[in-house]
Parts: sequence; structure tokens; C-alpha cells
Amino acid sequence: MAKKTYDLLFKLLLIGDSGVGKTCILFRFSDNHFTTTFISTIGIDFKIKTVELRGKKIKLQIWDTAGQERFHTITTSYYRGAMGIMLVYDITNEKTFDDIVKWLRNIDEHANEDVEKMILGNKCDMEEKRVVSKERGEAIAREHGIRFMETSAKANINIDRAFSELAEAILDKTAGRDADADHARIAVERRPSRAPPARACCS
Amino acid sequence: MSLHKARIKAFEDILNKDVIDFDQLRKLAFNGIPDEKGLRSVVWKILLHYIPHEKDARESTLKKKRQLYLQFIDEIIVTPGGDADHPLNISPDSSWSTYFKDNEVLLQIDKDVRRLCPEISFFQSATEFPCEKVVNSNGMKRLHKRVEQSVLKYATLERRGLGVAKLSSEIRRSDSLTSGDYVPLNEGCEAHWEVVERMLFLYAKLNPGQGYVQGMNEIIGPIYHTFANDADKDNREHAEADCFFSFTNLMSEIRDFFIRTLDETESGINYMMDRLGSCLRSHDPAVWDRLELQELRPQYYSFRWLTLLLSQEFSLPDVERIWDSLFADEKRFNFLIYICCAMILLVRENLLNGDFASNVKLLQNFPPMDVSLILNKAAEIASA
Ligand SMILES: Nc1nc2c(ncn2[C@@H]2O[C@H](COP(=O)(O)OP(=O)(O)OP(=O)(O)O)[C@@H](O)[C@H]2O)c(=O)[nH]1
Ligand SMILES: [Mg+2]
Repeated sequence: MAKKTYDLLFKLLLIGDSGVGKTCILFRFSDNHFTTTFISTIGIDFKIKTVELRGKKIKLQIWDTAGQERFHTITTSYYRGAMGIMLVYDITNEKTFDDIVKWLRNIDEHANEDVEKMILGNKCDMEEKRVVSKERGEAIAREHGIRFMETSAKANINIDRAFSELAEAILDKTAGRDADADHARIAVERRPSRAPPARACCS
Repeated sequence: MSLHKARIKAFEDILNKDVIDFDQLRKLAFNGIPDEKGLRSVVWKILLHYIPHEKDARESTLKKKRQLYLQFIDEIIVTPGGDADHPLNISPDSSWSTYFKDNEVLLQIDKDVRRLCPEISFFQSATEFPCEKVVNSNGMKRLHKRVEQSVLKYATLERRGLGVAKLSSEIRRSDSLTSGDYVPLNEGCEAHWEVVERMLFLYAKLNPGQGYVQGMNEIIGPIYHTFANDADKDNREHAEADCFFSFTNLMSEIRDFFIRTLDETESGINYMMDRLGSCLRSHDPAVWDRLELQELRPQYYSFRWLTLLLSQEFSLPDVERIWDSLFADEKRFNFLIYICCAMILLVRENLLNGDFASNVKLLQNFPPMDVSLILNKAAEIASA
């Protein structure tokens, strides 16, 4: 058996309309690099990054989903196992912001009730093209009681911070919920992808 | 005569018959079509049922289809609904709303064609044969121009309620649309990605039930690349029209992969993934068990493999070689399943030793490998 190189494993999901920059955000976070020539995501992609929080090594298993409607059956089957979800919109594109409500509804329908959420307004390097003000982003986040941040994958603004805050929120929850935190840890490690929906959807 | 020359001659012999022996052609093409003399291009056209088996009928079919395609361009792109209700004539009637709805589709296409095969320069380079009516229109008929406007429309028209007249004078380029090297070319010129954009838009307009789904760009790309590099000038000149109809025929066979509501049907993508699952299970129970145990579902990797006919997993020349076999498959697309299964078997040692994360990574980023190795393995599975 492979040696364990981490204390906890968190499964995260990136969702949002096509073209908002989900793949770029993830690439910036995992490889600290930005490129404009990404092919569109078909179905689902996957990256791993280990971070350290409060002295614990946390392995983040991050799923990058395709934005277009057609892929929703495939992508929503990943919601159930997710412990944290990033909802991304593009501050230069009104429609992607309007659709955040739709994505929230999707989460309600398919994800665990206690999943940690965070809204990201991406491409904040493009101030001159901005059509969604920061205040509107904050307002919708407040309304739903969710964390919020503006990011730029291109200029590397708030990308690391967004992931560590989300991971920390999950950490708080994990520690708070179980009297015996060690128990939870073992459960998480043994079953990295305890995803019942996947079973349900490959009938 | 070298083996390669003999192969070329074998193809030529079949193609020169009055009536093609389709089975014979299929068998030959299954083992790969030579790059020379535009052979791949003509054989794909036959295998995709675009041109007839009778030699005499070929020319007239091509002529008819190419004419028809020009008509599509005229009616749908150059003068949709006649000049009278050009969308910049202010009156928010139904043609207006169609125009903007189309632009939403176009916006998606535009994003995707600018992300097509970035590892080669072909799609960013100029075509020898631009569509005259489009490229000499002061930008008016260029499809990507329309999307630049529609981005703005959303920003100013709906948010600040500005009039349309104001709108048109404020058109700016969006960075995200002109990023990378996929820049539009000057008046009179046209890049290959612009041609692909036009074909996909026409396809979406002519097949409203289906529209445009991401990934179609990856299906049309290799076909267009093949046709636009034909050795024959006349064929190159009409690569766009020929590609459009060949793509349309191919889509009629795989379109259900792209339709969400058909996922569960026998022609849908879930069924294909299940078949791959059973194929793997019967050929390598150990690997199957391992992936099962790790709860590594076929849809984590094979959804993209199957939907895109493997076009995102290999380099373009390899994709074209794989497609020779796929198109020549008598029971399209059985052989696709075998290829996918072969790919898994060829990395079985890694899979048996890897954890969940490294296995997903391996399958989602399939390592470069000699395709003939994969195809031979697939043929082995097929005949088992
Ligand atoms: N200026 C700027 N552009 C960005 C940023 N992030 C992404 N982009 C651009 O936005 C485009 C789309 O980015 P992707 O990451 O592929 O979008 P996606 O959300 O993964 O899209 P799908 O895979 O289709 O769902 C690319 O052309 C990027 O160059 C950013 O922070 N700033
Ligand atoms: Mg993506």
C-alpha cells in the first residue's frame, strides 16, 4: 500500500458557465501558470494539490467540470461527494453572473446539504470590461450566506486564498462536527471518493 | 515497388473502378490510409457517404452539394431575411430576437474554435480560399464581429438601457475574444478557424433540434484539416463545403452522444460507456476489479474519449490514423470501444499499482504512445 502523505482529503468541485475561467483557475492553483489556449472542458477533469493548514497536510482533490448545459447530467453526478464547491462567474459577462442562481439551485438539488460553498467573480484583472460590480457579487453571496471573492487566474489574484479559505471552512466543519476527529480522518482517507451518485448513474 | 507505394496503388485501383467495391475499400482503409495524393480525403468522403460509389456520379454530386453550400452561406449568413430587416435597423421584432439568440450560440462556438488544436498553427493560418462575400464586407458579415457586438449588447443594452444607435458606435473588442493567436485576419483574408466557425454556425442553424454542443468543434476539426490539405487544388478550394456535408453525415451517426436527453438510450453515451465497461471486464477482470474498488467510474475518463472519438487524447496525425479505422469500421462505432479498451489494457500495470488519484490522472491524460500499438491491441480484442 502506498504511504500516506497527507492527513486529510477534501474533495472540491468547480462549477459555473462555460468560459468563465474554471480551468484557468485550477491550472493557476495547481501549476501556478496561466495560458490562454485551453481547450474547452468536455465532461470532467481532475487535479490534486496538497496544502498545509494549521499544521495539517490536506490533499485537495479538485474536479473541474464543463460549463455547458449538455454536460450537466455527467457533472451533477459529482456534486454528492463534494465537500466544497466553487461557483465561478465572469465579471465581464452579465449572463454568467445571472446564472449563479441557477448553479445554486443545482447545488441544492444534487449536493450534500452541508457542502461548503464559495462564489468567485473571476477575470477581475479586466477592470475596463467589468459589467458586474463587486457590490453585486457581495450582495448575492450575503443573501445566500456564502463566502465571496473576486479573482484573476491571469494576474494571480486571490487564487490561493480562495482555495485555502474554502479548505479551512471544511476543516472547521470536520473538526467541529465529530467529537473524535481521528475517526473522521480515517473515514475520509479510506474512502477517497465515497460517491454514491456515481453508482446510481451508471445503470 | 515499396510496400508503401503498393498500398497507394491498391487504393488507386479501387478508386478508379467504375463502381467502388465498398467492402474492399473499407478493409484497406481500416489499416490506415496513406497521406499522399489526397487519398485520405477522398476515402473519408466515401466512407462517410458523402460521395457515391459510382465514379460517373461523383462529379455531379460534388457540384450539386457545393452549390447548395454556397446557397446556405447566402441565405443564412450574407443576407438573412433580406437586407430590409438587418438587425441594425432598429425595431425589436422577431428577427431581432432570432438574431440575438443565434448570437448566444455563436458566442459559444467562437470561444471554442479559438481553442481548437492550439498545438498546431494550421487553424490560425490563412486559408487560400476565403469566402469572398464574407471577407470583403468591411467586417459586416464576419461571424465573430457579431459576437463582439452581442457581448456589448448584454453590457450596455440591457444594463444601462442605451439605444442601439449608441451601441454600434461603442463596439469594443473583448480581450477574452481576441486572446491568444487566434486573431481575425485583415479584410480579404480569413483564418481557418473562421471557416470552422462558419460551418458550425450553419450546422447549428440547420439542425435546430441539436444546435451547437461543445466538442463538435473537435469532431469537425480533423475532417476539415484533412480536406483543406488535399493535394488537389479544386478539392482544397471546396474543402469547406465538402467538410460541412461529411461532418453532417458523421453527426447523424453520433449526434445522440451530444444530446443529454438521449444519454440513457441505446444510441446514447451512457450505453457506450457501459459497453466499454463490459468489454474491459471480460478482457481484464483484474483491472476492472481494481477500478471498481477505487470507485473509478468509466465516465471519469471515457465520456470524453467516446464523445469526441478520441480527438482530444492524441495528436492530430494520430487522430487521423485512428479515424481511418473508425470510419472503416463496418459496425460503426464498435471498434471505438475496442480502441478505448485497448488503451486501458496497455497501461494496466500502472493502473494495478496506482492509487485513485494517479489512475484518474493517467486515464485523463493518456501517455503518448505509438498508435499502431493501440490499434493492434484493439484488433486483437475485436477478434477475440
Ligand atoms: N483576462 C482574463 N481572462 C481569463 C481569466 N481566466 C480565464 N480567462 C480566459 O477565459 C477563457 C476561458 O477560460 P477557461 O478556463 O477555459 O473556461 P472554463 O470555465 O473552463 O470553460 P469550459 O471548460 O468551457 O466550461 C480563456 O480564453 C482564458 O484565457 C482571467 O482571470 N483573466
Ligand atoms: Mg474548462
